[in-house]
Amino acid sequence: MTTIRAFFVGAAAAGLLAFGSAAQAQDKTIKIGALFPMSGPGSYFGAQDKQGVELALEQLNKAGVNGYKFVVQYEDSSCSPLPATQAAKRLIEQFKPDVIIGEECSDATLAVMPIVEQAKIPFLNAGSSSIKVTQPGNPWTFRIMPNEVMQGINLAENAYKRMNARTAVLLFENTNAGIGNAQVFKENFVKLGGKVLAEIGFGRDVNDFTSIATRVAGLGKVDVIPTYTLEGQGLKITQALAQAGVTKGGGGSAIQIGTIWLPFGFEQKAGKAALGYIRIVQFDPTDTRDVAKGFASAFKAKYNADPTHLNAHAYDQIMLIADVVKRGGKDAQSIRDGLAATKNYSGVTGSVEFDKTNQNIKMDTIHYMETKPDMSWTSLKWN
Amino acid sequence: MSDPALAQQWPGQRSMLRSRWVGYLVAVVAIAALPLVFKDTYWRTNLTVCAINVLLAIGLDFILGYAGQLNLGHSAFYGLGAYVSTLLIVKLGIPFWFAFVAGVAFAGVAGILLSVFAVRLRGHYLAIASLGFAVIVHQILLNWISLTQGPLGIYGIAPPPALTIAGFVIADFHNLTALFYLVAGFALLSYILLSQLVRSPIGETLTAIREDEVSAASLGINGAAWKVFAFGVGSAIAGAAGCFYASFVGTLVPDAFFISEAFNILAMVIVGGMGTLIGPVFGAILLTVLPEVLRGFGDLRLVVYGAALTFVVLFMPGGLAQAARVVAGKIGLRRPA
Amino acid sequence: MTTTIVLQQAINGVVLGSLYVLVALGLTLIYGVLVQINFAHADFVTLGAFAAYFFMHLIGGGYLLSIAVAFAVGAALGWLINASVFTPLRHKSNELLPLIATIGVSVMMQNIMLAWFGPIPYAFETEYSSQVIRFAGIFVSWQNVIIIVVSVLTIALLYAFMKFTFLGKALRAVAQDRETAGLMGINPNHLIMLTFVIASALAGMGGAMLAPVLVLTPFAGTSVIVKAFAIVIIGGFGNVEGTILAGLIVGLIESYTTQFLDPGLIDIVVFALLLLMLAIKPTGLISERREENV
Repeated sequence: MTTIRAFFVGAAAAGLLAFGSAAQAQDKTIKIGALFPMSGPGSYFGAQDKQGVELALEQLNKAGVNGYKFVVQYEDSSCSPLPATQAAKRLIEQFKPDVIIGEECSDATLAVMPIVEQAKIPFLNAGSSSIKVTQPGNPWTFRIMPNEVMQGINLAENAYKRMNARTAVLLFENTNAGIGNAQVFKENFVKLGGKVLAEIGFGRDVNDFTSIATRVAGLGKVDVIPTYTLEGQGLKITQALAQAGVTKGGGGSAIQIGTIWLPFGFEQKAGKAALGYIRIVQFDPTDTRDVAKGFASAFKAKYNADPTHLNAHAYDQIMLIADVVKRGGKDAQSIRDGLAATKNYSGVTGSVEFDKTNQNIKMDTIHYMETKPDMSWTSLKWN
Repeated sequence: MSDPALAQQWPGQRSMLRSRWVGYLVAVVAIAALPLVFKDTYWRTNLTVCAINVLLAIGLDFILGYAGQLNLGHSAFYGLGAYVSTLLIVKLGIPFWFAFVAGVAFAGVAGILLSVFAVRLRGHYLAIASLGFAVIVHQILLNWISLTQGPLGIYGIAPPPALTIAGFVIADFHNLTALFYLVAGFALLSYILLSQLVRSPIGETLTAIREDEVSAASLGINGAAWKVFAFGVGSAIAGAAGCFYASFVGTLVPDAFFISEAFNILAMVIVGGMGTLIGPVFGAILLTVLPEVLRGFGDLRLVVYGAALTFVVLFMPGGLAQAARVVAGKIGLRRPA
Repeated sequence: MTTTIVLQQAINGVVLGSLYVLVALGLTLIYGVLVQINFAHADFVTLGAFAAYFFMHLIGGGYLLSIAVAFAVGAALGWLINASVFTPLRHKSNELLPLIATIGVSVMMQNIMLAWFGPIPYAFETEYSSQVIRFAGIFVSWQNVIIIVVSVLTIALLYAFMKFTFLGKALRAVAQDRETAGLMGINPNHLIMLTFVIASALAGMGGAMLAPVLVLTPFAGTSVIVKAFAIVIIGGFGNVEGTILAGLIVGLIESYTTQFLDPGLIDIVVFALLLLMLAIKPTGLISERREENV
């Protein structure tokens, strides 16, 4: 009998031990996978995203949320479909995240979406504008950034009505986001009565924009030049347009406009050529809301620099996930449901509420900025 | 030159034949065993990439090492096979295996066309012509957006449809292991095909042309026709690799077939040992695995890759095959020359 | 309006073309003397650009001087690669091996630069790119003026060197027939080294001048090198006049294709031209009399 009793005690003890260590091994963490470009033409996205993420983690993990701490694993998706596909597969297989944030570039985001759908992991995006990310209605993909349609309609209206623009030349990179944004602007601008004089698309391997700028110069009176491209080529375009005397910065009259794309700091690199550039940004450094001011000062304290929209939207992604966890999210499925149910969340880049297609429909995420002669920004209260 | 009677009488002949078929058997066993050794998805993915690269390497080796044609644009045929088959499936709904044959045929015909065009060119001229061809193909894939989607890419490409017999599924290619067996099996079959070709009178003809085309012509050999044939075979195999690549990765973009890819394949052939058939197999495996193994080195891993390539060429130009022969000689395994 | 545009694009094309010529000249010189292709040539261009960048930003030197620095860096690299790669491989019969070796060197160089400089594009600004001369509706930045002046001077000097100096003639002798040149008491090895050094110095200098034009990353050279190969063939392998002519033509093709068609078609037009040349006249636009089975 003693042996049998010993056996049961032993089994009970072993059971308790296993249960206890299992409870400890569970570690109560939320695993966040991060797909950001860290190499290639979009690598500055990844570097700045990481800063925003780290600031958020630092603040959150001091006390945790509902007993959970947050852990992030980064993978390099290179702003391009193929590396993004491979990075996503690696991330899911090896890290097994509860939620994934990223990518920045629409092409990469679109490529990753089928993978996260199959793996049933929620995917929170803050940087891709292509309508294809949410339009088909993806239960597992969420976007807090206003999409190209929301921005494009708004931009075309403001160009026509507030800027009195009647002619436009579109310059865009040949990617989903570039082509998509350009198309939306064109449709809406023409509908209002404007005229598109030319649509010039170019690959990411094009270096010299003098010839393109010359072509634009030969088109007659151009009022606005909507430009959709990454920073490397964006700089060249802005300088070439000024050299050709087309834009304000070069003595001409045309104004470059754009949707959320180029980060803060662009003007410092482009110089005088960027004078008068008007564009939609995702984060307004002059935003007076408490959450924005708090973020800006915390960021400045940690990094000794002013935050860009990339820092801001990455911060928002982590903080929104934390809010979902506070409301009860703890694994992939519950986080997904929590995201879908978000109403009136106040983020640094604006408010968040998702519609049926998981697109954030709050328009206060659209902020307009104009570049002043001293290369600083002034906020145009157009929205 | 190749008198069958004479060949038959050579003492080691039959045992060589036997050892070759033993070698194939060993390969089959190895292929079967590999996914059982490497259990995680990451390495199983790499195994399939190895198999695809082996296909590319042996195809190029046939053109380069056996027919002596300086082809620097092998990535073009790879890309054509991938895009033709994928577009047929995605846009016209054509079943996978029909699209596969179409892709292979298209790539093969492209190779024949390039070869016909370049048949008068030799040496570096052919090299640059093939490079130019590869650039044009890449640019067309990139810029003809309405047809190929260009840099926007084609996503969510499905793996080959499951193999069923009387409603019973014997292989589901969503399963990585099954997909690996398919690609590796095809690679082995291609290898056997090329190996037999090389040992046949066709192979001897190609060698004659490679060594001295003028003298070969004096023997009545039509060098041009055979060069075209070799190009067609090699490029068709590359097309097959492309078809597998698309359904394996699931995402297709033109930049996967940039000319740097042609240089990677060339490196596999050289490091493995140009002019032998088995060398490029190991060259492909080594150069596929090396960057993955070196991932811990971070940015420096590709530096090591480039250094490895340079040193092989400088100190062991016959590649792995030469190294193997040296080692075999030292151990005393050398066959009579 | 249209004539102004046509003229402007002609100027743009000539500027671009001069840059391509600088890069392609190096390749053609190497090929002429060595009958070898150096795939790492692109990376000499890139490294020249970075050398100029760091000279200006770390040491605070002026732009014009940085061009000379890039020239020197290119020369040093050329000496290094020739000594370590081409010379040991010279006596092997397989002509592909040095080509592959240079591919390996290219991969190494690109990734060393990547590890060292990072992937983020560097903005190479000089005081000359924003200063623009305007007359009769045409604009030329001072940067472009410098490019044209330096290129023309360099090409003229090189041309004079090849035609009128003893070393130059010796180089051409080695290019035509190495064995006979050797018999005449010329040391081919020294001349080959000299050629390499000059060619790579040209590449480095080209990089310093291309830097404000290109998006400067460790992979900047690759965008230029393939066109450079095309130019070398269209102009005629080993032929200096042909390369100059072909380079200018390609530059003009680029600007006019952008103007009248689409920037994306540039490479297709250039390479279609290349294949056309190979079909009709493989020896190039201006061919030297060469005994060779082409």
